[in-house]
Amino acid sequence: MAKAIGIAPTRMELLKLRQRVSLAQKGHDLLREKMDALVIEFFGIVRSIGEVRVKTMQQLSSAYRALSICFAMQGTIETYQAAREARKDVEVDISTRHVMGILVPVMEAKPVERHALARGYSVYATSSALDEASREFEKALEILIKLAELEGGARAIALELEKTKRRVNALEYVILPSLKSMVKFISMRLDEMERENFSRLKRIKAMLEARE
Amino acid sequence: MSTDRILQFELARLNAHLPEQRITLKDALSSPSPHVVTKEGSRHKFERGELEFLSKMTPADEWDKLRLPILIAINPKLGRGAAEITGEAEVKVISQVLGKTCRDREMVIYRPEIAVVRAKLPTTTQYFFMVG
Amino acid sequence: MSFKIATIADAETAAGFALAGVQDVYVHERKEETLAKLDELLASEDVGIVFITYRVAEELGFDFRRRMRTKRLLPAVLRIPDKTGWMPKVDELREIIRRTVGAEVIVKGGS
Repeated sequence: MAKAIGIAPTRMELLKLRQRVSLAQKGHDLLREKMDALVIEFFGIVRSIGEVRVKTMQQLSSAYRALSICFAMQGTIETYQAAREARKDVEVDISTRHVMGILVPVMEAKPVERHALARGYSVYATSSALDEASREFEKALEILIKLAELEGGARAIALELEKTKRRVNALEYVILPSLKSMVKFISMRLDEMERENFSRLKRIKAMLEARE
Repeated sequence: MSTDRILQFELARLNAHLPEQRITLKDALSSPSPHVVTKEGSRHKFERGELEFLSKMTPADEWDKLRLPILIAINPKLGRGAAEITGEAEVKVISQVLGKTCRDREMVIYRPEIAVVRAKLPTTTQYFFMVG
Repeated sequence: MSFKIATIADAETAAGFALAGVQDVYVHERKEETLAKLDELLASEDVGIVFITYRVAEELGFDFRRRMRTKRLLPAVLRIPDKTGWMPKVDELREIIRRTVGAEVIVKGGS
């Protein structure tokens, strides 16, 4: 087998192999710890997502309700008109944060809540129903941005978790067993060669002694 | 072997998120934008809420002893699921967060406790993987 | 860095977001055109988040899911309920959890 892989059965090679086993073992243990840590982070963020999702649903419900009322009281055409005229200046600040070698998004709503005059639609046609609908959707937007941040983070962590898990499994089930069996084989081969050598020396010694 | 190289690469980047220098709670509290710079050059910001929380748990005369971020040190020799906290001030704070009493310079915490600490102090604690 | 927000939804939902100040508001009508709009948003450099309703995403089906798998980090795409509150049976987050951790977990607030 050593010939097939091209590793000569020498003490030097055995030593190198043992070092590789050591590195692989250390790597496996550390990456497994990283995997465990990622699981903790992942569940932490999933829990936050659960909480924010509940708030999101509630706020969106309020917003849709306010919009329905607005359609009823202001009229459909007028509402759509206001929607077209409204000032479209909302922005989101996105940066990244490092969590254990992964880039996780940080999203901050640039102050979204505005008041009636700043919203842009014709003030004379304004009704409180319109303002109410706008305000509810502005609030919803703020929570949704938070949700987008969390879900982006969860996705990034999940990807890294999967990658790390694959490495740990590769080390545990493929690389380490293979290295260890090569160590065993070469070790046995070396012992065998040493025994052959030893018996050859004994025979030579016997021959030399017989000559005398 | 290429797997060895991948391994070296992965191990090297395990601690890439760690800061070059930690800062004390005192400095963090008085800074308008408390942060540390990571080994890769990016900024890691500390959340103000966490800093206030920490300041309540630590006597004011020890604020210059508590170094941030608090490191959750993973040493495989401790066994899977265990981590170490070192530093008197750090140990005091973490013990309080966990509802334990510990007066030593170092303490070992386990996975469920790690989860509690990370949930409570997400920006002021960091994992540290001991590779050497 | 500052980014814009976009929405792909039915007319009513779109109106709501327009009132809140969202710049790019697209009303879904036909699948091909909406997919084209989605591609435009995904390729854009200044859109940070795209909100799309569960209903529209479901109608786009496999074409939507494929784009979600292959897209860049930004823009982030978030599915939201429209006024009917409709959501698909399978919660993507739960699927991710099952795949990565191998456990069945119920996520609060999801389906």
